Amino acid sequence: MKTHFVNWSYKYFAPTALCKTRFVGACWLVTVMLSCHFGMSSEAGAQTRRRPGTTRPAPQAQAPRRSTIKYSAFLHSSDKHKSLQCNACHRIPTAWNAKRTFPDVADFPDHDACVRCHRSQFFSGQAMIGTGPAICTVCHVRAAPREDARFAFGRPNNSDQQVKPKDERQFAIEFPHDKHQNAIASTSSVRFVVASFTGPVDDQAPDYNNCSICHQPNKTLAIAPLPISSPDPAMLYPFKSMPHSHDACFDCHWKNLKPTSDDCGGCHKASATFIAVLAPKRISAKFAHAGGKGGHVMECTTCHINITRASTLRGLTPDVPIAACTTCHKDSKKTTYPKAMTIEEEFAQNKKTGECTYCHTAEVGKKRPPPSHETAAQ
Amino acid sequence: MITRVIFALVCCLLAVSFSLVAHTQTPQAARGVIRLKVKYKSSEVTKELPRKRFFLINGSIDQNKSLVEQIKQTPLMSRECYYRNHGASDALIKWLNENDCESVYCRAIEEKYTGGREAVPEFKAAYDQALGELKAPAIARRWLPNYLAPEIRDGFYTAKQQTISNLVKQAETATGKPVMSIMTDRKGTAYLTDIDPGVYTISNLVGSETNKSSILWVCEREVKATDLTIAMKRPFILSNEKDPKVKCEVIERPLPVCGAR
Repeated sequence: MKTHFVNWSYKYFAPTALCKTRFVGACWLVTVMLSCHFGMSSEAGAQTRRRPGTTRPAPQAQAPRRSTIKYSAFLHSSDKHKSLQCNACHRIPTAWNAKRTFPDVADFPDHDACVRCHRSQFFSGQAMIGTGPAICTVCHVRAAPREDARFAFGRPNNSDQQVKPKDERQFAIEFPHDKHQNAIASTSSVRFVVASFTGPVDDQAPDYNNCSICHQPNKTLAIAPLPISSPDPAMLYPFKSMPHSHDACFDCHWKNLKPTSDDCGGCHKASATFIAVLAPKRISAKFAHAGGKGGHVMECTTCHINITRASTLRGLTPDVPIAACTTCHKDSKKTTYPKAMTIEEEFAQNKKTGECTYCHTAEVGKKRPPPSHETAAQ
Repeated sequence: MITRVIFALVCCLLAVSFSLVAHTQTPQAARGVIRLKVKYKSSEVTKELPRKRFFLINGSIDQNKSLVEQIKQTPLMSRECYYRNHGASDALIKWLNENDCESVYCRAIEEKYTGGREAVPEFKAAYDQALGELKAPAIARRWLPNYLAPEIRDGFYTAKQQTISNLVKQAETATGKPVMSIMTDRKGTAYLTDIDPGVYTISNLVGSETNKSSILWVCEREVKATDLTIAMKRPFILSNEKDPKVKCEVIERPLPVCGAR
C-alpha cells in the first residue's frame, strides 16, 4: 500500500468504508499525512492517469483548502471554472476508438484537470474525513479506491445527490434551424420528398440532405393514449428522433467550419441547471409522419411552416397549423385523397359523440374545437 | 373606525384585482399572415421556385427606397462563375448544378464520387486526407466536407450569405424593426406568420438562380389581420410575369457565361 502512495495516485487512498478498526484508522491517518506532505512538496505528485504524449496545462491557483464547500457538486458556472477555456479540462477527442465509432468528446476530463487546482480537496486529511474525498463523487458514483463506476458523461453530480435520478444539465444547445436549412437547400425534385419521410429508398438515387439528417423515425417513443390495436401501426410511433450525440454535428463541424469541435461554447450555452426533457410529450394530435397509408409525402416544411425561420431552439414549437392538415384532409380534396378522413367528418363525429378522436387523443378530443378548426372546415 | 379601515382596504384590493384581470384579459392585437407563392416562367414553362429564402422588411418600397437601390445594385454572381474562378473542377460544378446546390452540404457525397470513373477530384483528395486521419472509410466519407478548402466547400454560399447579411443589417437599421425571413418549400410556398398589420417590402435580396437567369423580386404587400386559413386561400403570388394586381419590381438578368477550363 505504501508503494502506491509513493506513486502519488489518489486512487489508492484507503476508503472510509474500511476504517472500521482502530488499526486501519491509524494506517489511514498516517498515509493521509504522508500523502499531504509529499503532495505539497512536489508538483509532480499530482499526476494521475496521465496520457503519454499529452502536454500538461500550467498549474492553476489552488482552490481554498479550508473552504466549507464540500466540493461534491460540480458547477461549470463557478467563477473559476468560467474563467477557463473548455479545452483546459476537456480533451478533444477523448480515446475515441474505444468508446465511439467517430472522434468525439466522450468522457470526463482526466484526473489531472481536477487535481491541478483541487489538490487539497483530494489529498488533505480533511478531505479524508467521512466517506473519502467528496470531490471524487462529482464523476465517480462512490469515493473509494479502485471505484471506476462513474456517472454518464455529460451528467456530473452537480447537485450533491447521492444518486442522480434526474438528467440535470448546465448547458442548453443552440441550433439555428434557419441557417442549416439554407446550407442544405437543394431542389432535388421527388427524391427530396421521399427522403423527408420514410419511404423506400432507391439505391440508384442520391441521398439528399434535409431534416432527415437529424430527425429519424423513433420507435422508442409511442403515443401513450392510443390503443395498440390501431389500424395503422405507424400511428403508434408519431415522433421523430432528435440528435443526442456529436456525430450529427461533426459531419460538418469537426474542423474548419465554425463552430468547430474544439469550440464547445459554439453550441453549448451556459445556463442555469435544468432537467433535460429528452422526449416530446404529445397529448393532442395522433399524426404519424410515417403513417397516412403512404399519403404523408409532403416536405417537412410544408407543415412545419415556421421551422425555416427559427434561429434558435428557445421557444421552438412544431408549429403545424390546422390549415396544413386540411390541405389534404378536407371534403373538397376527396377526389385527390379519396381515403383520407376529412375535417368535416371529424366535426360530424363531434356532433354525435362530443369527441374528435380520429385526429386527437381522447383528453384533447373532448374539448371544444378552436375557432381555427371551424374556419378551416368552411 | 376599524371597520372603515377594513372596508377601505377591501375596496382597494378589489379595485387592484379588477384592474389586473382587465389587463390580463385584454385581447392581443390581431396578427397577419402572408402565404407566399413564388413562380417563374422559363422557356414557356411555369415552375415553382423551391428552397429560396425571402425577407419581410417593414415599410413600403418607397419607404425603403435607399435599401431597394442597394439591392438592385448588388452585382450578380453566378455559382458557376464563382466556382470556375476558384479553380473548381468540371466534375464538381456538374455535381453542384445537378441539384442547384450552393454548397457541398446540400446532398450526401456518395462513394462513387470519391473514387473511380465518376470521381470528383476535390472529393477524392479530401477523402484521402480524411481517411488518413480518421482511419475509417465510412466516417471519412461522411466527414469529407471538413477536409475541403473553404472556397470549394461553401465559398459561394458564404459570399452570398454575407451580402444578404449586410442588406438585412441595413434594413433593420433603417426601419428599426427586425427583418423576418422564410424559405419556400419545393412547391415554392412559404408562410410569413405572426406579422403586425402594415405595409411591407418582400424581397429575396439577392437574385435567385434559375436555369438561365437570375431573378430578383422587390415587392410590396399590405398585411391585414387575418387567419392562416384565410391567408391560404389568398396567396401572394410572386412571378417574373407581369401582374397588374401585384406591386412588384422584378429584375431578371441572364446568368453570365463562364467558359469551361
